This record gives sequence, structure tokens and C-alpha cells, in this order.
Amino acid sequence: MANIDVFVPSTLEEAVAFLAHHGDRAIPIAGGTDVMIDTRIGRISPEWLVDLRALSGLSGIEYDANGFRIGALTRIRSIELDQGLRQRSTALVEAARVLGSVQVRTMATIGGNLCHATPSAEMPPALLVHHGIAEIAGPDGIRSIPLGQLFVGPGHTSLEPGEILVRVTCKAANPSSASSAGSCYLRQTVRWAMDLAGVGVAASIEVDEAKVVSGAKLALSAVAPVPLEVDVVSDMLVGKELTPQLTKEVGRVAAEACSPISDVRGTAEYRRQVVAALVPRALYIAWLRATQNWPVGKLAPINGVLSEEE
Amino acid sequence: MSETLLAEFQVIGQRLSKLDAPQKVTGRTVYADDMHIPGLLVGAILRSPHPHARIRSIDTTEAERLPGVAAVIHAGNVTQRRFGYGQDNIPLKTDKVRCIGDEVAAVAAVDDETAKRALELIKVDYEVLPGVFDPFEALSETAPVIHDERVDITGNISMRWDFDHGDVEAAAAEAAVIVEGDYSAPQAAPAPIETHVVIASFDPNGHLTVWSPVHMVFMYRKALADCLGLDWRRITIIQPPVGGSFGGKIDIEAHDFITVMLAQKAGRPVKLAMTREEEFIGARTRQPIHFHMRTGADAEGNLLFRDAEVVSDNGAYNAWGSHAMLVAMNTITSMYRVPNSRIRCAVVYTNKNYGGSVRGFGNPQATFAVEQQMEELADALGMDPMDLRLRNANQTGDITPQGLEITSCGLSECLEIVRRQSRWDERRGKMRQRNRGLGAAAYIHVGGGARIYGSDGCGAMIKIDDSGQVTLITGASEIGQGSETVLAMIVAEEMGVPVSAVAVINSNTDIKPWDVGVHASRTTFVAGNAARMAAKIARDRLLETASAVLGAPADQLRIRDGIVEVIGEPGRSMDYARIVRRRLLHEEGSVVMATAFYDPPTHNQDKEYVGNISASYGFGAHVAEVEVDPETGMVKLLNLWTAHDVGRALNPMTVEGQIEGGTAMGVGLALSEEIVFVDGRVAAPNFHDYGMPTAVDVPRIEVNLVETIDELGPYGAKGIGEGGIIPPPAAIANAIADATGIRPRAYPMRPWKVKHWIDTNERSYVIVSTDRSEKRESN
Repeated sequence: MANIDVFVPSTLEEAVAFLAHHGDRAIPIAGGTDVMIDTRIGRISPEWLVDLRALSGLSGIEYDANGFRIGALTRIRSIELDQGLRQRSTALVEAARVLGSVQVRTMATIGGNLCHATPSAEMPPALLVHHGIAEIAGPDGIRSIPLGQLFVGPGHTSLEPGEILVRVTCKAANPSSASSAGSCYLRQTVRWAMDLAGVGVAASIEVDEAKVVSGAKLALSAVAPVPLEVDVVSDMLVGKELTPQLTKEVGRVAAEACSPISDVRGTAEYRRQVVAALVPRALYIAWLRATQNWPVGKLAPINGVLSEEE
Repeated sequence: MSETLLAEFQVIGQRLSKLDAPQKVTGRTVYADDMHIPGLLVGAILRSPHPHARIRSIDTTEAERLPGVAAVIHAGNVTQRRFGYGQDNIPLKTDKVRCIGDEVAAVAAVDDETAKRALELIKVDYEVLPGVFDPFEALSETAPVIHDERVDITGNISMRWDFDHGDVEAAAAEAAVIVEGDYSAPQAAPAPIETHVVIASFDPNGHLTVWSPVHMVFMYRKALADCLGLDWRRITIIQPPVGGSFGGKIDIEAHDFITVMLAQKAGRPVKLAMTREEEFIGARTRQPIHFHMRTGADAEGNLLFRDAEVVSDNGAYNAWGSHAMLVAMNTITSMYRVPNSRIRCAVVYTNKNYGGSVRGFGNPQATFAVEQQMEELADALGMDPMDLRLRNANQTGDITPQGLEITSCGLSECLEIVRRQSRWDERRGKMRQRNRGLGAAAYIHVGGGARIYGSDGCGAMIKIDDSGQVTLITGASEIGQGSETVLAMIVAEEMGVPVSAVAVINSNTDIKPWDVGVHASRTTFVAGNAARMAAKIARDRLLETASAVLGAPADQLRIRDGIVEVIGEPGRSMDYARIVRRRLLHEEGSVVMATAFYDPPTHNQDKEYVGNISASYGFGAHVAEVEVDPETGMVKLLNLWTAHDVGRALNPMTVEGQIEGGTAMGVGLALSEEIVFVDGRVAAPNFHDYGMPTAVDVPRIEVNLVETIDELGPYGAKGIGEGGIIPPPAAIANAIADATGIRPRAYPMRPWKVKHWIDTNERSYVIVSTDRSEKRESN
């Protein structure tokens, strides 16, 4: 960790120019919860850290009629505690609350979580089921891509030298307009806190007045080299009423669609079983929320088991 | 103290927070790594990257040339002797490395960066040898032999622990029901927050001072001298405040010797602080042990026999872990009344990091097997497991097959308390449709020292100076368990002074009297008795003087808050300061000092492993309640009820702290903690993957203290440092069995294992006398 210099840009343009000039030798840092560990264990060895924290306008959560926008420097803890998001994207809040510890969440940013591109990261699946669009600043100005296209492989994004993720825009129903959408994030871990997901599952459901599914999205973490969107869920559910049989079938298809590895957090076979178990639960809870059958603002149990009270 | 004075405790039984709590919680404690002395160098160790290899050559030329490097050492340029049981280890490895993490060379340099750079410049030429990582594979005749230099052993079996009592086969022929299964305990870490840190400094006269958070300081001093050829009279060991040990810092390790050798070579003081990664690969762990066990009972549920084939996975060398069977054996033979028992245990070398002593020392492992079989047996007999336990519970007056003399025993009461609090009778076996279950486990553990050397004693000295201040100089070490606090309380009680008037000195081998060290839950019992004895002598001397000055016989005096007064005449009194001054400032004056040595009336085990090693035995019982997610295997621990026979709670707050802390560690063992090896390499040497439980993972722990007032313990107290950690793996396994019907075979019961057992419908074998021809599976 010797001899790393820190550059503190005061404008986005300055940051972009610096990163473009130094290429691989410079790495942006915001909360530092991944960068500092990676540096210490020698996974990366930058000459420069580019401290983005002084940049204005990259932090905060905004809503409009169609959804919400989250600045890349927004802390995970701010997402976890945001009441507006809790109604619009429960999945995102449920993902935020299980990321690291309170201390880590207070430092970590959503941009860092996305750009670190860990297959087990919490934020990507929750944003993917809300149609996330990534806004990226670079030497040639701003470009937008579907969030899924950001991820290339473990630890790798499609960002070009000099590019910085600045914002993510998502679709979500406005709670004041008789909400008919719901989302949910569940995961499997060894410990019930401070752990990386063995499997993470995010789901979102929209229903029409007859409670027929009009939109459905599903995304998984830790079961493929990149956060995995399961597109077929839309074909399988739209136009139908959600039944246990149907959600189970989606779980089965999702388990087949993923390509997990075996490691210290479980075997590939086990992870497929967990996908098959968690997908129906996440879809069901998202549907309960979309159909107003779930207490407003209440978060689901981490693994989605709705146990009876004694 | 006469019984009239003792009738009402002044200090004992109070809930006092630990005396060092304010400095700990305000971050003011100065740990070894915070210390600095002029000229201090940084030490670092080059460790083997291979699990098994021959060292062909070591070239340190470039490292020595690096500016800022003061010493580079390896086996070729130091004087060192072998150490460890069977002398199978040496600080800097000579011809062979036997696990990843083995110490090959070391440097001392002006700073961390230079030291690390110097390690990179050392060239070691290895001939990589095939390794063996599974103890069962290591038993095969074709397995690589790890200690080919040991001519006293065959193959990879370092030692055996075989025990026989009665006739197991005859008992098995009589048994109405026998349960049989395999139970495995993993490699786990003590995982203290403070890693190992050592500072070594020679003064110009050649006197060595070592600052080390070790807690068997006198043995440490002797081991240093023996291995490095030093004069042990010229070694001082100073124990700085310990940032957690849990047994991990009990014993001397290679890096201790290496730090001293570096200081010798460099002619300057050296500090060596292990990184967290080194702590996982290069410091001692809990011994992984595999049990194949059978337990049999008659139709009424009287235990007839226990039979265990045990493979203890030793890792590369014999450290304390090789002796974990010492305690595991007690549990197999003496937990409950078992008339016949047989143990066949091989301690087997493998090319992995090796086991040391960790809180509970072999007991959580053995209890995992023994207490699961109790519930399996009960189910097979159609009995309630609590009834089975109570029927066979150890009782006061028992002498077990290993000669353990049970002089006070609260086991039945502990079982009844947790049974009642958990509403066991209404709920056990009745919540499976909700995936919930209850499981219990009890334990026996030494509670009055553990004689493993010629002495199990501890010395104490009391000094009272002209201010009236009472100082206890004790052989015992504080490692966070609260010994300073409880010893100060004992002295305060005995001398009739407030706790604030007692200072405890315990950290320097030049000053403090001899003690075996902190292990085996012995400090309160042994050091407490020694402190009490010394305090009584000092008090009697003070009373003698006061009696003469006040002109009243000693039995007419009483002591309160350090003031001696004639009973019924409050005006006739004098305080300790005056009494001491009276003695000091008098012709032919004298100081008030008293010494005592307490060695419990116990015996070493003989060659057949029989002997009453402890003056008292602790007991306890836990009930765990879980909810299992059968689709993912995730286990949610909902409740833990605990009851412990503590003899007497000298300080209920710190006793509860010991039990809660131990139980939380036991929860970690049960559900999440494991050092996972892949081909001899620690897969993830970090806290994240290791899996220590968080506050979220540990439910509220209900603690019940059962007081049996032990005859020999100080004020009736027994040791309780380890009790809490022992039952959770077994109790939680039994709860999972109750919730699912499957039988956990190993801990930690991580989700994918639980899922696997559910998917494969894992059961033990049950043999019922009416149908001996075939084994059938239990529920």
C-alpha cells in the first residue's frame, strides 16, 4: 500500500480528465470500503486514488412520477433509511439493509457497489428489477446504458478509461397514484448479517386492477459472473394471476438459467436449489406488495420465510 | 475469618463491573502493539507457501543488502533447539516444511515496508512433496509420512489415547437399544481481536525482557530458555493487557522464539505483530476431531456403555491440540453415569495448520457427539431426552470411571431449569410442521483446576503499606476474563476493605509468584484460594497488632471498611494505615506482608487415564430453539436457555458475562465458524468468511446461576470460564433434528450442509435388541 497518491478533483470534468490521462494507474474512490481492502490484499495496485467525494450533484435520491434517480455518491445507509424508496422500491431498501454493517453502509456508496462489479453485490439485482439505467460521464460527455450492460465479469465493468458512473435512474410506481407495483429482495447467507450473499434474488411485479400481472422482472446475484437478469419471467407471468405453481415454475427456470460456481459459500448445486427456493418467495412478496396485501413500509424477513407467530 | 465476621458478605456476591472496564471502553488500554521503546525494529516472518516440501536452500543475500534491514535469520544461521510434545517442532524450519505458514526465515528492519520488501528478496528453493490433508487418508499406509524424522512413531499417528473401563461388548449384548453414528468438529479459530504481538529486548548486560500477551508466563520463560539456550534466570516476561486470547495465547509458538532470535541478531529490540491473515494460517486453532460413537442403554433408559473411535486431526505438529483428548475423554467416560466405556483415539498428523488450546479444549467436540446420542437414544427408547438425562445424571458423591470425584453437582437442577423455561414438555417434538425445534445439551468440565503438571498451584502475596492500601501480587494472569476483579473482591472480602482499596499486580515474572497459568477455568478457584489464604494471614497480623494497641482480645475485634474496632465500642478503633504505621515506625518494626501457595488436592492421571485431576467439576445445561428453512438450509437461532452450576457466583455480573460470551462463541461454532482448507491452504484467511457470529446471530441468552457451594472453592465458587461454549453445537444440532427429523453430522451447520442432510434424509443407526439382525435408521 506504499506510495499511493490521492487526487481530489473539484469538478466532474477534472475527475474525468485525470482518470482518462492516468488510465489503469488511477482508481476512483468514494466510500473506500472495497478499494481499501482490494489495495491492501494486492488485488489492485493503483498509483493514484481519485477521491470523488468533493464532487457536487452526485449524491442524493430524487423522485418523479415515473420513478427515482440515485446519485452515485449516495451512501448505502441513506438508501436503507429513505422512506420514499421504501414505498417505491422495497427491494432496494431490503438490499441496502443487508449490505455489510452499519459502519460499512455509512461509508459505502451505491456507485462503488455497482462499479466494483462483485457478482454477489446487493445493489445490482434490486436496481435491475426497477429497469435501472446507468448514466456515465466520460471524456465525450454523458451516455446512458441499461444497467445490466455495465457488468462484464467479476470485477469488470464496461466503463472506458476516464468514465465515471454518475447516476442510476429507475422506474417505479408513484405511491400517491394508487400503487400497483411491488418489489422484494431476499438472500441466503451463512450469518444473518455482515455476510456476502450466497444467493441474492430481486423481483418486481406490476398488476392491473384485476390483479393480473402486467409486468414482472427478476434478477439474481452470486449465481453467474455478472448480476443476472432472468428475462423469461415476463413471458411466464404477464397476463396471468400469480399462483404458487407459477412462481415455483419460474424458480425452476431461473435455477436452470444461472451458472453458479462452487466455493466456500456453497456448491453450485446448492445455489441452484436456493434460487429455486427464493425466487417464488420474492415474487410472492412483491405481488403481496403490488396488491396492497402487505403492511406498508414493512421489510420482509431476509430469506423470505413468513413464519407464523407463536 | 471467623464465621461471625463472615456471616454477612460485604463484597462477595455483588454485581461489580470489571475494574479495567473504564480504560477498555474509553480506548486507553495500552496493548503490546501500542508500545514503543527506543530503537525498536519491526520483525516479519517468511512462511512456507507449500503444505509439504523439502527446503533445498535459502538465499538471503539480497535481503541482507537492503538498506534498513538489521537482521535476517533462518535455520542455517541461528542456534535453536526443538520444542513441542515429542520435540517435533523447531522455530525456523530446517529440512522440511509441513504446512502452509511454516516459519522458514525472518527479518528485522526499520519499518513494516522494509521488512516486507526484505521477505520478498529471500529466495527459498523448495522440493515440493505430496501432502496429505485428510486425517483418514493420512492413516493409509501409502500416505506421505509427515514426520519421517520421528523414529518413535509409526506412519502419521503422533500419539494415541486409548481407554477401557468395564466390558463394552458384554454391555452391548445386554443393551435394549444402541445408537451409532459419526460426528465431526471442524478446525475453528480462537479469533481474538488482538493478534499475536511480541516484543523482545536484551539490555546491555544480556538480560532479556519479553513483552507478550501470553498467559502461561512461567512455562513460557522456561520454554524460551530451553529452546534458545538462554539462562532463564536472566529472562523477564511482562504480560501487557491481553486483547483477547480464548486460549490462543496460552502457549509459546515459533514466532515467540523467532522474535527473540531477531533481537539477538540485530542487537536491538524487535516487535513482531502478526497480521490477521497470519493469525489464521500461522497461529494455533481448535483441534478438529472426528468421532464414530455408539451409546447403549437398557429398556428403562439406564446407560450401559459408550464406545468411541476417534480421529483427532493434529495438523503438522504437536501443540496443545494434540492433547484435546484429555478433556474430550472426560466427557465420553464421565458425562452421565456410564458403567462401561471404551475409547480408541489416534492423533494423526496432516499437512495443515495445527491445533492448540481454545476455550473448552476438546469438550464442545466430544459433547457434540455425546449429547446428540443422548437425544437419539431417548427417541429410540420412546423416552423424553430430559428424562433420560435426569435418570443418568451425575450426582454428588459419584466417582466416575476415570476417577473424577464429583463433590458437588448441580446437573439435575440445571436440566430442570432449562426444561421448565423452554417449555420443553409442551413443545419438544411438536413444532415440526412449523420447522421449529428444541434441543438440549449438558456438559461436565473441570471447575477446580486441572492437574497436568507436577503442581496445579498458584502463589499469592499480600502487602499493606503505610497508606492502608492493600496490594495483591498474584501469579494469575488477567486475559479479559476478569481475574483481577474477582481476586480483588476476594481480598477485599477477606480483609474487610472496599474493593477500591485493593490493587492487583500480576504481569511481571520478576515480581509475581509462580503459577501454572490461565487455562482450564482454574484461575478463580486456584488463584482465588491462594489470594484468600494470603489475605487471611495478613489480616490476622493486623488484628494482632490492633489487639495489642487497643487492649482487646482479637475475638472482640471486628473489621469494617479497613477500620478495626472493638465490638460494641465504636470509639475504640484504628484503621489499617495506623496499624501498619504502628508496626513500621516502631522499634524492631516490621512490614505487613503475607504469602500463600494453593495447590488443589488432586492427582495426575495415571497411564490408564485415571486420576482425579480437578478439585471440583462444573456442570450446566442449555436448550436451544431454532427455526430451519428446509428449502435453503438456513437456521435461525431463536432462543437459548442456559443454567450453570457455578458453585457460588462471586460476582454475578462477570459470571454472566463469562457464560454469555462463551455461549456466543459456542453459537459461532455451531452455525458458522470454520477455517476451510482447500488442499492444505486456508481458503479465506479473513473474518468475513471465517464466520464469527454477529449480534444479529446470537439471540438473548437466558442465564441461570445454580449455586452448589463447593466445599473447596473460594467461598464455594467453581470455575466457569469455559462452560458456556461447550453445549451450543450439540444443543443446536438437537434442535435442528427436532425441527427436521434429520441428524446433523458435523458443525458448523452451515446452510448447504443442513440442506444436504435434509435432501439425503441423514440418520444414525439404531439397533434394537428385539431385532438385532439388522440395523435400522433412527428418526
